[in-house]
Amino acid sequence: MGTIYLFRKTQRSLLGKLTQEFRLVTADRRSWKILLFGAINVVCTGFLLTWCSSTNSMALTAYTYLTIFDLFSLITCLISYWVMMKKPSPTYSFGFERFEVLSVFASTVLAQLGALFILKESAERFVEQPEIHTGRLLVGTFVALCFNLFSMLSIRNKPFAYVSEAASTSWLQEHVADLSRSLCGIIPGLSSIFLPRMNPFVLIDIAGALALCITYMLIEINNYFAVDTASAIAIAVMTFGTMYPMSVYSGKVLLQTTPPHVIGQLDKLLREVSTLDGVLEVRNEHFWTLGFGTMAGSVHVRIRRDANEQMVLAHVTNRLNTLVSSLTVQIFKDEWARPVLASGAMPPNMLNIPDHHVIQMPSLKSTMDELNPMTSTPSKPSSPPPEFAFNTPGKNMNPVILSNNQTRPSGVGFNYGTTPYTTTFNHGLGVPGIGNTQGLRTGLTNVANRYGTYTPGQFTQFKQ
Amino acid sequence: MEEKYSSNVMSSGRLGPVDAPESRLTRYIVLLCFTKFLKALGIFESYDLLKVVHIVQFIFILKLGSTCFMVLFQKPFSSGKSITKRQWVSIVKHAFVSCIISLLWFFGLTLCGPLRTLLLFEHSDIVVISLLTVLFTGSGGGPSKTRGAAFFIIAVICLLLFDNDDLMAKIAEHPEGHHDSALTHFLYRAFFLLGVADHKGGVLLLVLALCFNVGFHTASRKLSLDIGGAKRLQALSHLVSVIILSPWVIILSATTESKIESWSALIMPFMTVIFSVMIMDFYVESVCSVKMEPSKCARYGSFLIFASALLLGNFWTHPITDQLRAMNKPAHQLHTEHVLSGGVVVSAIFFILSAQILASSSRKGQRGTLVGYSPEGTPLYNFMGDALHNTSPSMPRFLKDSLKQILEEYDSRQIFYFLCLNLAFTFVEIFYGVWTNSLGLLSDGFHMLFDCSALVMGLIAALMTRWKATRIFSYGYGRVEILSGFINGLFLVVIAFFVFIEAVARIYDPPDINTDMLTPVSVGGLIVNLVGICAFSHAHSHGAARGGCPSHDHGHSHHGHGHSHGHNHGHSHSDHGHNHGHTHNHGHSHGSAGVGMNANMRGVFSHVLADTLGSVGVIVSTILIRQFGWLIADPLCSLFIAVLIFGSVLPLLKDACQVILLRIPQETEKGINIALEKISNLDGLISYRDPHFWRHSASLVAGTIHVQVMSDVVEQRIIQQVTSLLKDAGVNNLTVQVEKEAYFQHMSGLSTGFQDVLIMTKQMDTIKYYKDGTYIM
Repeated sequence: MGTIYLFRKTQRSLLGKLTQEFRLVTADRRSWKILLFGAINVVCTGFLLTWCSSTNSMALTAYTYLTIFDLFSLITCLISYWVMMKKPSPTYSFGFERFEVLSVFASTVLAQLGALFILKESAERFVEQPEIHTGRLLVGTFVALCFNLFSMLSIRNKPFAYVSEAASTSWLQEHVADLSRSLCGIIPGLSSIFLPRMNPFVLIDIAGALALCITYMLIEINNYFAVDTASAIAIAVMTFGTMYPMSVYSGKVLLQTTPPHVIGQLDKLLREVSTLDGVLEVRNEHFWTLGFGTMAGSVHVRIRRDANEQMVLAHVTNRLNTLVSSLTVQIFKDEWARPVLASGAMPPNMLNIPDHHVIQMPSLKSTMDELNPMTSTPSKPSSPPPEFAFNTPGKNMNPVILSNNQTRPSGVGFNYGTTPYTTTFNHGLGVPGIGNTQGLRTGLTNVANRYGTYTPGQFTQFKQ
Repeated sequence: MEEKYSSNVMSSGRLGPVDAPESRLTRYIVLLCFTKFLKALGIFESYDLLKVVHIVQFIFILKLGSTCFMVLFQKPFSSGKSITKRQWVSIVKHAFVSCIISLLWFFGLTLCGPLRTLLLFEHSDIVVISLLTVLFTGSGGGPSKTRGAAFFIIAVICLLLFDNDDLMAKIAEHPEGHHDSALTHFLYRAFFLLGVADHKGGVLLLVLALCFNVGFHTASRKLSLDIGGAKRLQALSHLVSVIILSPWVIILSATTESKIESWSALIMPFMTVIFSVMIMDFYVESVCSVKMEPSKCARYGSFLIFASALLLGNFWTHPITDQLRAMNKPAHQLHTEHVLSGGVVVSAIFFILSAQILASSSRKGQRGTLVGYSPEGTPLYNFMGDALHNTSPSMPRFLKDSLKQILEEYDSRQIFYFLCLNLAFTFVEIFYGVWTNSLGLLSDGFHMLFDCSALVMGLIAALMTRWKATRIFSYGYGRVEILSGFINGLFLVVIAFFVFIEAVARIYDPPDINTDMLTPVSVGGLIVNLVGICAFSHAHSHGAARGGCPSHDHGHSHHGHGHSHGHNHGHSHSDHGHNHGHTHNHGHSHGSAGVGMNANMRGVFSHVLADTLGSVGVIVSTILIRQFGWLIADPLCSLFIAVLIFGSVLPLLKDACQVILLRIPQETEKGINIALEKISNLDGLISYRDPHFWRHSASLVAGTIHVQVMSDVVEQRIIQQVTSLLKDAGVNNLTVQVEKEAYFQHMSGLSTGFQDVLIMTKQMDTIKYYKDGTYIM
């Protein structure tokens, strides 16, 4: 960890890299099965596409796209195997779990785009309905249905299984659940199959095959060619309905959002954290899902000046680690460079800083550029001796205060680099350090009290 | 409570029995069954009557007959309290509206025949109300109601599209001119202008009449209470409508010659119709709705009437039913008129299903609003309430607000204007296509519409990007832009794929292309897209100008063309950025290496570019075909375009993927590595672990890092130094965790698991190791 690959460059070609990764995946026995299915899928899809053009049927085309989606899901499965084998690299420091999510997202979005394309073509067909040849229609349907069901049920597709469980139900599932609930009232034994929710892919495969069968029947009986277009639209709409919740779920993961189902739990933990001894407030909390299931997050915790940072850090980490596996906690103190008793040059505006999002970084640059502290501070002779820090206040009050006129802006400007503050800072430069210490001490205790009585309820509305 | 009172809403105001045992209900159900069958019979009969009698006369006679009957039985003048003048006005209004509705109804009957009329019009109020609730409020009470509404719509669509009634015969039968009155003539003209066949016009008319009828029933409920019972109101209203209609009928019979040989032969059929359609149905319905639940009543009633309509529709022209028919037809020459077809059967099944589902009472679905109390003291509920009155009044305001937001920012404004232009062009194309009946224009219009969806997505993304951060989107919505760019890239890949497939299919089998129409359309499309390119390339330069380097403005419109091109620019660009000093983020924003910088606009731009390429391709291939007759030019052009689109979209996809996958931002990678090296050389710092840096959105590069320090170092100073170092490298949202030995001790004390302790102690050991100074990094 932490090794620096400064000028390392992989000059291998893209193809070479791909073959290497491919070899890595094929080393696993389980992926052979997937590859076999993929090959069959490609053959199947080829046949189906030729049948689509020979029957001129839009509905069969829409159903074939489901087969193509199946191919994508197989690829996703391969990627998830690959992800399991890869270790995090310096460029992808979080690991490769996201590839899986992205692949799920891309395949569901592609399926929806295909459905959109079907809708467009169907709209054109409503204007002029061409003749449909039913010759291969039923054959194609059954080949596609059998293959889809077989591959769906025989391969354990981890990412899609997870997404279909975790995402909200599609309308198709809801209707089937509603219907089957009344059906299970009659025949209770069926409840194990239909309730609470069916696998959406199996559902859409069966529903699409049903629509195609109806199409075939009606065309055979009465030459209603428009039925083909209608069932193509139906299949496309069902595809939308099935894929949409999944793409929303995976898209939200990709957008680095907090999953709604953990918010309650997270709130509880954060409330616990904010009631820890010495913690004043919790801010800038970012929690998001890395891949399917693993959470990552970062949080800033402001503590009292006399609190033990490592202690608080350990406690906070301990609390949050149960939920968030990749956690970073930044502990910070206001006015850390001053001893406790002599402190207090706290600007009045810091109590009511309007938005905690803008506080932290963006305004840092200007102050940093002026002062350029990173070269000066470590070698500065007047930097406070380490033992003065928190438990022994007041020992070397005077020298520190005098020296702090230089270190303070970098320390505080980093936290509260807002423009009103800089004015108070300039003002503070003119005033001798000792002169105003006593008068302002009460101000600090007020602040501490205010944050000390910070109740959990307030905390939750803090971020809204 | 609601359940209890729901039974009396449809009735005249008495509180009916709530849960009658089935045995007591049986006779009512049988009665209902019989009545509904009679009603169906009456409608079939009246269809035959309407062939000879003018519609206004027919309605007049119906109203007259029922008035006589009801006035005799109900005695509206002698019983009950007296009616005020205002109430009379209301009754006149009521009568007028009821006349209009029955006109529409029977006119629909003449247009689409008795079977379809029964299917469309005989829905009870609660079915229609719950349908409207589902359609317009969105929360109709669970998926079952939605399903019912969908079935209803499918049934209507079935009647409209799949019911090939004898269309051709009807169209030939109705040359303009032989209509009896101005009213029917006007309606026929309207249908002709709408471009629908008579039969389909009838379907639409009946649906409209159904909605009117339901609204009318609901509105008249209060009036019937004021007057003292629905029956009294009905009697009075019939009377008034007879009076209203009489002048018209007199004028009609004076001006037009009658087609009827003998009125006496028609007395019997009229009696049947009056008795079955008007009187019997009304009384039985009101009795049943008192005795049974209205939902149950509606379910039985609709099922029975549809089933009997289907039966009668099948057997009406059959000789068996001849003795059933009151009026003897001279011949069966109209044998094939409005017969049963597959579409009708399917739609009847769907209607029955939807009536069953929609009429079934859901616990929460129907929420009545208290209207007031009847004279007897029972509370009255209005079940229409929410469905029709407050359907999201904030909709216009929402539109206005979002429009304002769109116009605020440059990017979204550009997209919006271009979208408007594109949509206008599309609709002109489609309308012109419909007008001239040109399929090529229509399909091109649909294609444009398809493309517009990408623009719409880009617009929404540009809008969402500016939303404030929330609890769930803790970093803000900036990433939406990148995701939208990614989806747009996928969209283009799909388009390229389809173009490719089509081109391959055409190479093997080149079709004959009619080139006349193509050129003006494609030139128009080209112009529109060129405008778009101008606008968006301007948008790019606009964004770049803020970065302070105007030199690379114009070059940017070529960005989507290919890799080599963009690369050159990116190079010169980074030099430029170097000269300017620290404008690292801005400087790189639009170079080829600018990862995900406004990926949304890039996606939209490449979309427009692809469209332009398509237009150019069509024009070029048209010229080639015209000049040289090379039919192969068209698929070759398509192939070329497909490859070009695919090639141009790859960099966009790659960049967006890298951002989404949380890669280290490419353009700041070097800076971050240098900064990390500097960090590891900081005073008092032992090591660092888990350095994660990623670009969250165009303006936000986030990072987290854990730093282990000596136990005698002030943490805040380390945080400050690390932050400033990484800040210079371009990371503007950083979290630094500073760990000392004490932290690991605390952690090992806190954590109970053996594994954790093991890891902790290991890490502690490394720290000690560093402290000894024997370890060299």
